[in-house]
Amino acid sequence: MLFFSYFKELVGKEVTVELKNDLAIRGTLHSVDQYLNIKLENTRVVDQVKYPHMLSVKNCFIRGSVVRYVQLPPDGVDIEILHDATRREARGD
Amino acid sequence: MASTSLEPLVDQTISVITNDGRNIVGVLKGFDQATNLILDESHERVYSTKVGVEPIVLGLYIIRGDNIAVVGELDEELDASLDLTSLRAHPLKPVQH
Amino acid sequence: MLPLSLLKTAQGHPMLVELKNGETYNGHLVNCDTWMNIHLREVICTSKDGDRFWRMPECYIRGNTIKYLRVPDEVIDKVQEETVRRSDRKPPIGTRGRGRGRGDEGRGGGRAGGRGGYDDGYARGGGGRGPRGGKSTGRGGGRGRG
Repeated sequence: MLFFSYFKELVGKEVTVELKNDLAIRGTLHSVDQYLNIKLENTRVVDQVKYPHMLSVKNCFIRGSVVRYVQLPPDGVDIEILHDATRREARGD
Repeated sequence: MASTSLEPLVDQTISVITNDGRNIVGVLKGFDQATNLILDESHERVYSTKVGVEPIVLGLYIIRGDNIAVVGELDEELDASLDLTSLRAHPLKPVQH
Repeated sequence: MLPLSLLKTAQGHPMLVELKNGETYNGHLVNCDTWMNIHLREVICTSKDGDRFWRMPECYIRGNTIKYLRVPDEVIDKVQEETVRRSDRKPPIGTRGRGRGRGDEGRGGGRAGGRGGYDDGYARGGGGRGPRGGKSTGRGGGRGRG
């Protein structure tokens, strides 16, 4: 649940989602669900010359199972809170 | 929080990227929890570096969720403005887990 | 409309099934289940490279090996007929709500003010899992796009 909750806090921020087929999509995080499926708005593919396959897509749903990385905005990371939340989750409360 | 459901895309034209690297465009008629999709009037867009994008008619398809990478909302205006016949690119790589 | 309802409606129809390993199976659907396991009759199997063929009187395919299914276009119209027919037969109020409810109640608890700006039970289990839409009657509006 930690990552689900964490991603929910990032809604509205710009992220880059790198997929397991090497495609990287940048956009505004619109929502996330318990499978870590992600919806992005205002998307653009990072290397549009190499990957013109999504030129006419501006909003998309990405299946959680194909996500390799999510590049986070620096202001979306608060180490203190993450530490604390991680410990709480490990304790199971 | 806004929902991650595909519900708002029902009856719209979507562009699906599958795990084996295909790009399928069609009208979303239904979906379920596992991201299984019903695509109506669908066609595949075959990318190559030799010739432009070639559409291949597929018709009514059920795509299994675990074979789906991305479901994009196709901006029809934007799509109409693209000259697919002159668009050349390598096909997408398959997803490697 | 649910993908598995469409598949169920395709019983008796011809279809093409491609597996994750690239093999394709052409045959008539006898039956299927909620895992997408399927039973085909009068089957032609084609190898991944498309140059070898096998005929078999019937076969079973485990759902999780399937990549996609190609279904005859007219099947989608039959699903709609069926959903309409089923809603005609809706039981009168009072007999409803037996069996396995939709479980819309009692969902999504567990948010009780987190700390430090996370209001959301961050790392405490809970976190509202919303009911996901699954339209049963494919038709009609409520798509809410401006």
